[in-house]
Amino acid sequence: MNAPLAVEALDLERTYASGRTTVAALAGVTLGIRRGEFVAVMGPSGSGKSTLLNVVAGLERPTGGTVRVDGEDLAKLDEVALARHRSKRVGMVFQAFNLLPRFSVVDNVALPLAFSGVPAAERVRRARAILDRLGMSARADHRSNELSGGELQRAAVARALIGDPAILLADEPTGNLDSVNGAALIALFEELHAQGQTVLLVTHDALIASHAQRTISMRDGRVVDG
Amino acid sequence: MSLGNYGRARLRSGLTTAGVAIGTALVVLLIALATGAEDNVRRSIFSIGDLRLVTVQPFQPGANGLSAVPRTITDDTVAKLKSVAHVDGVYRQFDAPLGMVVEGGDDATIRPQGIEPGAPVDRGDLLAGRHIEVGDRAVAVIPGNIARLVAPNAGAAVGRSVTMRVGGAVKLGSTRIGGSGTPRDYAVKIVGVFDEQASQTSFRIPLDDALLAGAENRGLTPDAIRETTGYSGLAVEADDSTNVADIVKAVQELGFSSFSLKQVVEQIDQGFGVFKGILAGIGGVALLVAAIGIANTMVMSVLERTREIGIMKAVGASPRDIRALFLVEAAYVGVFGGILGLALGLAGGQLIDRIIRQLNPRTNPAAIFVVGPDLALGALALALAVALLAGFLPARRAMRMSALSALRYE
Repeated sequence: MNAPLAVEALDLERTYASGRTTVAALAGVTLGIRRGEFVAVMGPSGSGKSTLLNVVAGLERPTGGTVRVDGEDLAKLDEVALARHRSKRVGMVFQAFNLLPRFSVVDNVALPLAFSGVPAAERVRRARAILDRLGMSARADHRSNELSGGELQRAAVARALIGDPAILLADEPTGNLDSVNGAALIALFEELHAQGQTVLLVTHDALIASHAQRTISMRDGRVVDG
Repeated sequence: MSLGNYGRARLRSGLTTAGVAIGTALVVLLIALATGAEDNVRRSIFSIGDLRLVTVQPFQPGANGLSAVPRTITDDTVAKLKSVAHVDGVYRQFDAPLGMVVEGGDDATIRPQGIEPGAPVDRGDLLAGRHIEVGDRAVAVIPGNIARLVAPNAGAAVGRSVTMRVGGAVKLGSTRIGGSGTPRDYAVKIVGVFDEQASQTSFRIPLDDALLAGAENRGLTPDAIRETTGYSGLAVEADDSTNVADIVKAVQELGFSSFSLKQVVEQIDQGFGVFKGILAGIGGVALLVAAIGIANTMVMSVLERTREIGIMKAVGASPRDIRALFLVEAAYVGVFGGILGLALGLAGGQLIDRIIRQLNPRTNPAAIFVVGPDLALGALALALAVALLAGFLPARRAMRMSALSALRYE
């Protein structure tokens, strides 16, 4: 298989200085995720799974090893290129939704395009299209603080998808949702995966992870079973 | 997006904008006051005469009142000055002794002023008649007050012949003075009348007439007067006011004292430059206070929006995007504050103008506050620049914030 992997990590390290000692959140992670795969990363808190996701998302820089996303070596990117990586190559869904409360849903969804030079009218058009696809058209013009948790996370997924990312990243996306909405969100991920979207999801919930094609288990900054 | 935030923190943005507005208004008002004062002074100077003129005085350079050392202006001096670069014309002037117009009675005291045709002093609008012309003899262009002593009005005086008495006792104000030499009468025809505001005694006559009267008064010939007494002064006209300084230098090198309005204006300009600087400095302090207000508002805004900054960074905002976001917000404060301040300054200036006029109706009719387009644009640019400078540090702080820690900020 010659096509680049969606994610390829080699001996990836991420350490934090904590007083005089250093804590390794990632202590040599090697893994590969193929395009079109739906992978769940599992592990207890402190296992490094969120750090892994943040590094892939370009929110944190590794302190050792290499990580390639869609063929691009993230260590080689400067701040501006890393920002572009976040807006175009990956889409991130957070546990805390992280929508801008005083903006409308459609403006929230369109936000990443604002930073990649797409004209305003085109941004809104694309945002409406993707909201429509996720069954959220009715809420498009509401302010995000008028939405329920399930709707917020759906809007967040729409925002993550608007740049047509190579990989959809989700960090405990069901953490703030009740079981019904959580199940609906996972169903959405499965649907997206069925349409060919690569998904990397971090969770500590085995039930959620069971919906993925493959589960990677982490402990103490290492992959223990992948 | 920035405008959205400006609108959200309405009270805070409003207060910050008010600070900028007051600072800008103060700068505008103070500079407008200085400009108005300068305009008034300049206008009164321009009404006195031409900036291209250099007057040569029959003294050595550095002449001031009592210590003046006399020096004779001869035709040789005139020839030398005519060959100086940028000199357009040299006009001789000879003042005959004080005298009177006999038909006008005791109050018609005159100083017969011998001039050449086209002399700068004999230009501009007349109340009636014409100026001194080439070939004229025994004619006079006289002030309006004298004209009204010999005729019902200025127009009626033109064409009338009067007796010009040179020398002898004359009345100056309310006192009589002995005067010089033996009085001698000359018949002259009035050809023109000028507004006496320029001078109430200058009786303009052809140069040769004045020389003859001056000579006869002292029992000399006109040629002797030319060589020994010399002319009373020369009006040297430059081709352009920018060359006046060169001509002044040439006059001094010839050994004569000179006077030019241009140099006076330059000194006034310099003085007003300092004056404006001081006033602008006072206004600047107000703007500085406003700048601190902007910086404070922006620091608060950055803190308050830390999570938002994190979100924007997480979805792809580059550091530059974030910085631009906050700089634009600061720019709004600067532009709104600047426009408001300019309006306040203009309105305040007019209000104060009107109040002063009502309190003292005899005030000079010229505006006290003058706001030119350069001041208006300058004030706006200053407000914007101050706002951007004040917003720079908070914007940089926002720009350097780590996306991840910003997202975790509660």
